[in-house]
Amino acid sequence: MNGRDDVKTLTCDEVREMAGAFVLGALDPAEVAAVRAHLASCDDAHEEIAELGGVLPALAESVPVVEPSEGLKARIMAAAAADLEERTAGVATGGAMTTAPQPTPFPSVSERTERRARTSTGTWILRIAAVVAIVGLAGWNLLLQNQLNATEAYQRSIAAVIDVAAEPGSLTAILTPAEGTGSGLAAVGADGKVALAARDLEPTSGSTVYTTWAIGGDGVPLALGDFTVGSDGKGTFEAAAPALAAGTVIALTREPTPGMTAPTGPVVSQGVATSPA
Amino acid sequence: MTQADQPLRLRVASPADAADRAVLVRLADGELDALEELYDRYKTMAYSIAYRITNDSTLAEDVVQDAFLGVWRNAARYVEGRGSVKTWLLAIVHHRAIDAVRRRRPTTELPDVEVPPPAALTEPDVWMEVAAGLDADLVQRALAELSDVQREAIELAYFSGLTQQEIADRTATPLGTVKSRMRLGLLAMRRSLEAWAS
Repeated sequence: MNGRDDVKTLTCDEVREMAGAFVLGALDPAEVAAVRAHLASCDDAHEEIAELGGVLPALAESVPVVEPSEGLKARIMAAAAADLEERTAGVATGGAMTTAPQPTPFPSVSERTERRARTSTGTWILRIAAVVAIVGLAGWNLLLQNQLNATEAYQRSIAAVIDVAAEPGSLTAILTPAEGTGSGLAAVGADGKVALAARDLEPTSGSTVYTTWAIGGDGVPLALGDFTVGSDGKGTFEAAAPALAAGTVIALTREPTPGMTAPTGPVVSQGVATSPA
Repeated sequence: MTQADQPLRLRVASPADAADRAVLVRLADGELDALEELYDRYKTMAYSIAYRITNDSTLAEDVVQDAFLGVWRNAARYVEGRGSVKTWLLAIVHHRAIDAVRRRRPTTELPDVEVPPPAALTEPDVWMEVAAGLDADLVQRALAELSDVQREAIELAYFSGLTQQEIADRTATPLGTVKSRMRLGLLAMRRSLEAWAS
């Protein structure tokens, strides 16, 4: 029974009696539906609902403080980045779609609880990428294939970032534009592995590249490697580097040629590598 | 006393509320930095609530992730005046945590689809926005001043996700009595907090 087909009629006194249970979420779905139906049609404002419900924020304050694990922030940020990417892709391919953009196909808590005991972060993100790709393929045609491939590649790069970020002792950096546009995520493993995914960058052409720099406490930029950016504005990068310390600045510059040992252009985007606690 | 009769001196919006609303605007524009800011501000509280309810670090993190992503996707739906951003976020965390533990408990009847939190959880209640900023010790004291059976009923509902019928069964108490304990217990908490805040 889900309460939709046969909603019980309640009196005002019955609703008042159930008010505490209602605000505490202690009613079953049919009872919730009955209370909601009553509130929607009753002339009485039933202020006891707001009065009792207002205590809940205080209850929330009473819990013992527990910190989440390292890595949760990176997972959330990566999931949001993937979500944003899908929104962007939905807008870009909207003209070829036969239906309205679909809600973000993230599995809910309940779905994930039922599906697995514990899925690794990398697998989880890749699953998201797969779902995103499947949704994208609903509007697939030859003209869109390059866009979809680019989207998938970007999703994979985000998964790579998260894999690195999930390693013990890893650092993450949220890259934000120094000027204009260009943002992304970077993760640096304890073993020096670096993964980066960036978007909204000006496309490269010719020999032009984006160079990733690590700027430590001595202020001297260390080149980590180069990558190019296509017309979609996205760039990805993976490399091995010396182990970096927390507080190291990860920065992107646009350089005329690959292999530069010192930056010649201004910083396009940057972020500070920190423990993802 | 109705909400409209509450003393004006308590009707304040903290700087944090204004900052949170500004963050929501940026979230609605798809700014990842804003999500990071909101997470940094409320991660501990959100996770603490989720962990208190689920008693499972993995599930609690899933709940917190879903909650923050829910805010990320629905920031534009936040209605100013229906409580603070913090209250909104924590209500989502609580609702999803309860949903998660109920799904883990096969005897509980579940909704077919995820439903939003009861309206009362997000209804305006300016006084309690202030109360939410009370020292946690005061809130603990208000809880401690309840009768044992009132506190038990509230905690079983709010933190364990039991329905009123399940509480009645577990405590071998008539259903009507359980309803009264929850209602009167919450009312007593409010009265205590009101007195201390004034």
